[in-house]
Amino acid sequence: MTDFLQLVLLGLLEGGLYALVAASIVLVYKSTHVVSLAHGQLMGFGALAFWFVLVKLHMPLLVAAVLALGFTAMMGWAIERCAMRPLIGQPLFAAFLITFAVFLMMDGIFQLILRGESASFAAFLPEGQIVLAGAPAPVTQLVSFGICLLLFLGLALLFQYTKIGLGMRATAEDHQLAQSVGISVRSIFSAIWVLSAMVAAVAGVALANVMDIYYPLPYLGIKGLTVALVGGLDSVPGALLAGLLLGILENVSAGYLDPLVGGGVKEVAAYVLLLFILLIKPYGLLGLVRIERI
Amino acid sequence: MWRPSGTFDETYRQDMAIVRTPLRWALVILALGLFFLTPVFGSYYIVSFLNLLAITIIAVMGLQIVTGYCGQVSFGQAAFMAVGGYASAILTGKMGFSFWVALPVAGIITGLYGLLGGAPSMRIKGFYLAVATIAIHFVTMWLLLHLSITGRSHGLIVEPPQIGSFVFDTDERMFYIIMPVMLILTYGARNLVRTRVGRAFVAIRDNDLAAQVMGINCFYYKMLAFFISCFYAGVAGCLWGHLTMVCHPEQFTLLHALWYIGMVIVGGMGSIPGVFFGVILIRGLDELVLIASPVFAEWFPWLGSAPAAGLGMTAFGVVLAVFLIWEPRGLAHRWEVLKASLRLYPFAH
Repeated sequence: MTDFLQLVLLGLLEGGLYALVAASIVLVYKSTHVVSLAHGQLMGFGALAFWFVLVKLHMPLLVAAVLALGFTAMMGWAIERCAMRPLIGQPLFAAFLITFAVFLMMDGIFQLILRGESASFAAFLPEGQIVLAGAPAPVTQLVSFGICLLLFLGLALLFQYTKIGLGMRATAEDHQLAQSVGISVRSIFSAIWVLSAMVAAVAGVALANVMDIYYPLPYLGIKGLTVALVGGLDSVPGALLAGLLLGILENVSAGYLDPLVGGGVKEVAAYVLLLFILLIKPYGLLGLVRIERI
Repeated sequence: MWRPSGTFDETYRQDMAIVRTPLRWALVILALGLFFLTPVFGSYYIVSFLNLLAITIIAVMGLQIVTGYCGQVSFGQAAFMAVGGYASAILTGKMGFSFWVALPVAGIITGLYGLLGGAPSMRIKGFYLAVATIAIHFVTMWLLLHLSITGRSHGLIVEPPQIGSFVFDTDERMFYIIMPVMLILTYGARNLVRTRVGRAFVAIRDNDLAAQVMGINCFYYKMLAFFISCFYAGVAGCLWGHLTMVCHPEQFTLLHALWYIGMVIVGGMGSIPGVFFGVILIRGLDELVLIASPVFAEWFPWLGSAPAAGLGMTAFGVVLAVFLIWEPRGLAHRWEVLKASLRLYPFAH
């Protein structure tokens, strides 16, 4: 039973990070109706920027965090400006493919910078373990999880109370209607890419803190995409729910099935779950069901 | 669309012909004849590069049918190739079938496996289906790495094909298997897209609801598209396995599938010649980067000693972005424009 609790707890902590990645993808989809593959790379970029400022330039933690967020935000803005904006009005599928092109481009640069090695930072969050409900939990991950929940809270407040958040929701509803009530859809698109890039950067740093920066880190973005699909592409609460669910499922299934089949369950659990969910609920757990017309 | 000047089609057969005039027949036969002499004159490097191109063309041709014609994006092509390769390796190595039986059977097995990939298309489409095929890729790879019949992480050793005592164990010899297969499959694809089935695919791509209203059984045709596409992938994987004489999950990564999608885009969605353009351009670019990267490494020491992989990816991404923004219809469109202007050469209209 303790084993089970331990697995659930670890899964929950990991799931928070998946949820964050998924949230960044959901943010973009909600407003622009583009599914982004590029956010995995933004994650990697954020982690690299943080590592560079913290380890290479020996800046203090707070400065490093601000600079890394700033760099990633600029990157998100640049992607929107150079790649996404020329494709406004084109089929959405082309926009999806251009995020894929951005993914490849940044992947190449990521490889060039890392050169097949891995980078890690010295622990910058408090370490140690505390016992929660009979299961020991690493404090580092607890702190990351806390940050992740705070971010979700922040997003909820942003969408509920601020002008730009409301503008984003209006844009998500209908681009032309939003334009006609005086919202600049273009600047909303820019803002949403900046915001989601920053969310991705936080997720990237938190993930890199657990598993180091190495080549497959951006590919966790693809896992984030599956989480987003499981939760529903246009639902931020769905992303949180699906992320936590998936984290728990991965760890529990890996804990119990790995000895039986010889490892690796953790890598596929997400995808098996996705295939099942898509067959049962094609629009995800909390996604909006669209009724299509010709 | 554009007819050669002075050539008139009087029957439906003539109108639908792939090779239109006797002159073109002569040119096609001459070109093919010369092409098949390549291993005699060309170096090993050229022949092995052509083999790689041809296998990629087969795989991308399948992807073109399901993505370019039927509009169902599949990121699973590499996994399907792996299924074909492993199926053939098991059929020839463990069950004692000859290569000539294993080649089509591996294609059919992969096609049936591909129906699994197409099954979600019953309820989902677009991005959802694209991500579902990524999921299928990872599940397939996991199975290949964990089943005992596929040799787990060791992969499988594949025997080269054989006729009597003649063994196709070099690139030059495999050339004479790969190229005819590629040509037959190209003809098959070209023929398919001018039939009722091909038109149904295009209708589904353009608007699947409208297609359904017109009486096209969407699910059936989507599954058919996946079956055909995976048949191509299976044949390509089988040839690839027999060429390299080994089957290993490392040969069929998600990255390969991403490259194939990129080739379809660069070549032009919904065009069979586009497959050739896309594959040749991207593979050529990759080869160029491979040749140029030591030079770059010398000029720019901060790139590290082996920048080929990273540079190749970056270049590929840039090319893809450029095509999506400025030439979304791909090289095939340029090719059509060029042909039309050459045909009317001295006169503008």
